[in-house]
Amino acid sequence: MRDEILFAKNIAKSFGALNVLNSINLSIKRGDRYTLFGSNGVGKTTLVKILSTIMPADSGELILFGKKINRRVKDIKNFIGFMSHESFLYNELTAWENLNFYADLYSINEKEKKIEDILKEIGLFHRSYDRVGTFSRGMRQRLSLARAILHSPELIFLDEPYAGLDIKAQKMLNDIIRRLNNEGKTFFFIIHNIAEVFNITNKIGILSQGKIVYEFEGDEKKNFTDKYQEVIRRETN
Amino acid sequence: MINSYFILSLMILASFRFVFSIVDFSLTDLASPILWITFFFAGLFSLSPTYKREVEQGTKDGLMIAPISLSSVFFGKLMSNLLVIICLEMFSLVIFFVFFPVQIPDITALLFLIIIGTIGYVTLGNVISAISANLKQSEIMIPVLLVPVLLFTIIMSTVSATSLIFSGANIIVVLDEIKFILAFDFAFLALGYLLIDYILEP
Repeated sequence: MRDEILFAKNIAKSFGALNVLNSINLSIKRGDRYTLFGSNGVGKTTLVKILSTIMPADSGELILFGKKINRRVKDIKNFIGFMSHESFLYNELTAWENLNFYADLYSINEKEKKIEDILKEIGLFHRSYDRVGTFSRGMRQRLSLARAILHSPELIFLDEPYAGLDIKAQKMLNDIIRRLNNEGKTFFFIIHNIAEVFNITNKIGILSQGKIVYEFEGDEKKNFTDKYQEVIRRETN
Repeated sequence: MINSYFILSLMILASFRFVFSIVDFSLTDLASPILWITFFFAGLFSLSPTYKREVEQGTKDGLMIAPISLSSVFFGKLMSNLLVIICLEMFSLVIFFVFFPVQIPDITALLFLIIIGTIGYVTLGNVISAISANLKQSEIMIPVLLVPVLLFTIIMSTVSATSLIFSGANIIVVLDEIKFILAFDFAFLALGYLLIDYILEP
């Protein structure tokens, strides 16, 4: 039986008078490939930032890898990888320097070898010593993925990972996801295009009006499209 | 960008030199204010992008998700700012003695005062830079927030002590001012260390 690595109970978050998240309850087991859907502005990125410990919730409980998360928990972050639509890359540094910087932050052993291997895997080894500021959107996205998985995290959050990627790069990303998932890594996706992940996701959640209103697992995924349209109709009424 | 800070300090000193070629003032009395105005305003512009660039480039969350304490980010940025600004001040000091025919005072005492005064204003400047990083016009907010606090703490003491040094006093004479400056340096460092988690938290 797979162990539970993320448990969220009654997570809430507001920004001033705006209640973004009301009562988020979520359970993710090791090896899951969870995809969160929702309309623009519904709070998906906010939720992901809370679950990945970038941002604290206003209330509720978050347990990651069996540890209750509070402000002072640092060591848990070693097990978390995060790829956002912001790349977290420094434009003035080269690809190698960016990865080297993050390798130092995560105290990675044999970092030169790991950086070289990951740059080869994402197809950017030939651009190792070029400044990131000269990269295209797709190249930055690939390098951002490399940064997110460099320290071999157990739980990987990918927010719009396919944005800006061509077909070849999308296939590369899927290959990396499958490889890491076979190694026991857990994924949490935010995706807008269901077709991108329907085959590789095993759990889907729909976020609407501050709550996860529906969840589908396994064969239940076939009901996703109808339920999602129902949610959109409710939101527009 | 760093080159522009050096050019700015050169322009400030050149402006004062121009003024003093027209108007007759006692250089010994005004040496200290000229130096500290140059240090402060040239250094101020290097403080603004300290945290702002992390927000603009989207790299701030990369630091937030890393398994590091935010106080280490604070002290890292503080050290790099101190290095740049102290180099800037040494450059300005050399240019000052070239432009202005002032007798060189006790240089050890002068350098010591410059360093401890700089630690104070750069530390507080870093704290305010972190606070104002998410604000739209942080370049204006930093001097607006920084100057009133520094004026009645670090600035008065450092300018007063530096004036005494230029008048020929040794370091023993300015011991009270030094204690005051060091107390504020420690207070600002403690403030930064204690508050940085709350300041940087999204």
